[in-house]
Order: sequence, then structure tokens, then C-alpha cells
Amino acid sequence: MAITAGLTLTSGADDLTSDALSLSVSTALTKAGGSTAIASTSGLARKTTVSTDQYTLYRADDYATVTNANKVYLKNTETASPALYFTVTIDDEPMGRLYGGDWAFFPWLATNGVPATFTAAPTLSWGDATDQIVFDGVTVVLGGSGSAAMVDAMVATKYPNWTCTEHDSVTALYTAKDSNILYQIEEGTTADQFVVTTAGSGVITTARVTAAVASGNDIKITPSTTGSHTLESMLFYE
Amino acid sequence: MATTTAAITLTSADLLTDALSLSATNTLYKAGTTVGLDQTTGMTKAYLTATQNIDIFPTLIEGSMAFAGKSSWVYVCNKSEDETEYATITISGNIIGKLYAGDYLWMPWSQSEDADSDNLHGDIELAPSVATGMWFEWCMINEGTEYPDAV
Repeated sequence: MAITAGLTLTSGADDLTSDALSLSVSTALTKAGGSTAIASTSGLARKTTVSTDQYTLYRADDYATVTNANKVYLKNTETASPALYFTVTIDDEPMGRLYGGDWAFFPWLATNGVPATFTAAPTLSWGDATDQIVFDGVTVVLGGSGSAAMVDAMVATKYPNWTCTEHDSVTALYTAKDSNILYQIEEGTTADQFVVTTAGSGVITTARVTAAVASGNDIKITPSTTGSHTLESMLFYE
Repeated sequence: MATTTAAITLTSADLLTDALSLSATNTLYKAGTTVGLDQTTGMTKAYLTATQNIDIFPTLIEGSMAFAGKSSWVYVCNKSEDETEYATITISGNIIGKLYAGDYLWMPWSQSEDADSDNLHGDIELAPSVATGMWFEWCMINEGTEYPDAV
């Protein structure tokens, strides 16, 4: 298996400098420290943006290994106006701007963050089979009686952004799938909290076990305008 | 008008079921214009014998107003032939990635005005993985060059 990346930089004599520039370099994309070809890719993708919000293109959590020789290709596909650009940031540091037609190719050392973990204990009275919690957009119905039964129901449930295991018979342990979930989870009334509905006095008591550390070197893009703009990207990773 | 062209080809016959044959070419323009970039640091060829970080464009005032909102392009190539040797590339102290033997990067560098008193904002630095000697090449093609006053 082999992937080749070739670069040429050209400029005529008396153009950029008195002498012509004709640089050509080619490299085989290999895994770190060896000659084995990189075998994985995100595929060639396109992202169309419609606001000046910052978009996460590649999350470091998803591509981190101890050592890696990942490579990233980016291209601003816009051709109508040269003034439109995407600001590319890595580790929340602006790297540079890709104006219309610009492309970049660079290495990327993706490193893991630390996902948040916390315990959630159903306490006081959980006695009605219809008692329920809503967390991470998922409704968990008691279906039985008692705190231990509620923990069993919480553990048996699949969540989009969290995994849940039994910490002990009356306490559940939640682990974030993404280290960028930084907020504290508590009982409350908003979508990012435990929303509890019980016939009795049941509450959810949470306690942080591990504070999250975001995977800092995500690759993000920020469009310069709110129009519809498309950035093309491809990641080669170990 | 200076016309400098950068082109890339990414090819593989066996990475995917279908062959990969991607190419892209662009002319290097000043920010937001169709006027060609007309300044360059020239190509540096360096043999580095220490593993400490070095600022690869030390004669420029990075983060100065001269660079703010401007368009600059950076090329760095690890010319080592030992596949275990790499260089760690950082920008403003944040790691971008590692260039292993033969690897190169081509990246934009558009900085805002320096907000740090130590004038390190936006510095592109390179750290070889070994002190036994590694060859590198780098250059920048840009606009808005500003050099420090002589002291």
C-alpha cells in the first residue's frame, strides 16, 4: 500500500525572484518512524458552512495514537470571490487563512484529552414505576421500585454522548465519549442536566470523579462570512 | 505581477477500492486580492545538531502589523533519510505535528497583531528529534515583511 504526496512550487525568472523557482518534492505517507504506509483515511469530504461560527473539522480524540504521522489536506473550494476565507486553527491557535482556491497540507499530532466522569445516585424515594429521568436527550423510566432498580435502568440505557456503568448497586458512573464536554452535570431543568420527574421525593445526586481536559488540538475552521462556503478536506491517519 | 504557483498531487492505487488521484493548484495571491505575492525569505537549507526548538523565521517581526490579515505561505521539509528521525513543528508553542523523514508541509500563516509582550505570538518553530544532525529546508512566500531595526 502506498500513498504519495507531491508538491511543486513554481515561479518564472524575474517574477518572484530573479531566478526561476522550480521546487518539486514528493513523499510517501508512512506511519511514524517506519516505512509502513498509512492505511486509514477519513475520505475526501466537503463541509459547507453558512455562518461565521467555528466548526470542528477533526476531533483529536478520534485520531490520537501515542505517536502519529497524520497528514491533513484542506482546500477552500470557493472561486467566486478571492476575499472569502476560512481561518484554520489548531489547538485553538490560528494557523492561517485559506482564501478562495487555496489549499494546505500539513502534519497533525492528534492527542487525546481526558473525558469527564461523574457518579449519579438516585436517592430518597424512587417508588413509582413511572418515575423517570431525562439525560442526554434520553428518557430512562424506572419500571420498578427503589434506587437500585433506577441504577439498573440507567446502566441499561444507551446515551449518545455518554457511557454508563454500575459504580455500586445504588450509584451509576457516567463517562463522556468526548473530552470536549467540559460542563458539570447536575440535576436541573435544562437539556444538559438530569431532569427528574418522580411521584415521590426522588432526586439524582451527582459527584464529579474526573474533570474533563479537552483534546486541545482539534482542527477547526472559521468562515469569514455567513454565506454558503465549502471547504474540502482529507485526513490520512494511523 | 509576480506569479507563484503551488500544486499538490495525492495519489494511491491501493489505499481505497478506487484509485486516489487528487490534484490542486493555486496561485499565491495577497490577502483578498488577485495580486500575486511578491516577497520571500528565500529557501533555507539547514543542518541542525540540537533538539531544542528554533524559530525558523527569526529575522521577521512575527505578529507585527505588517503581517496582520496578510497572506503568507510556509514550506518546511525534513530532508533526513532516516525514517525514525522527525521534527516537531509548533506555532505559538502549540504543536501542529511531526514531519518524519521526507515529509513536508505547506501551510498558510496569517497572523493577527501580536498581543504578547514577548513577541512570540505566531512563531513557527521546529525541533529535531535527534542531535546527531538533520537536514531541513524551509521558506516563506509572503506579503508585508517587517524586519527589526538594527541595534
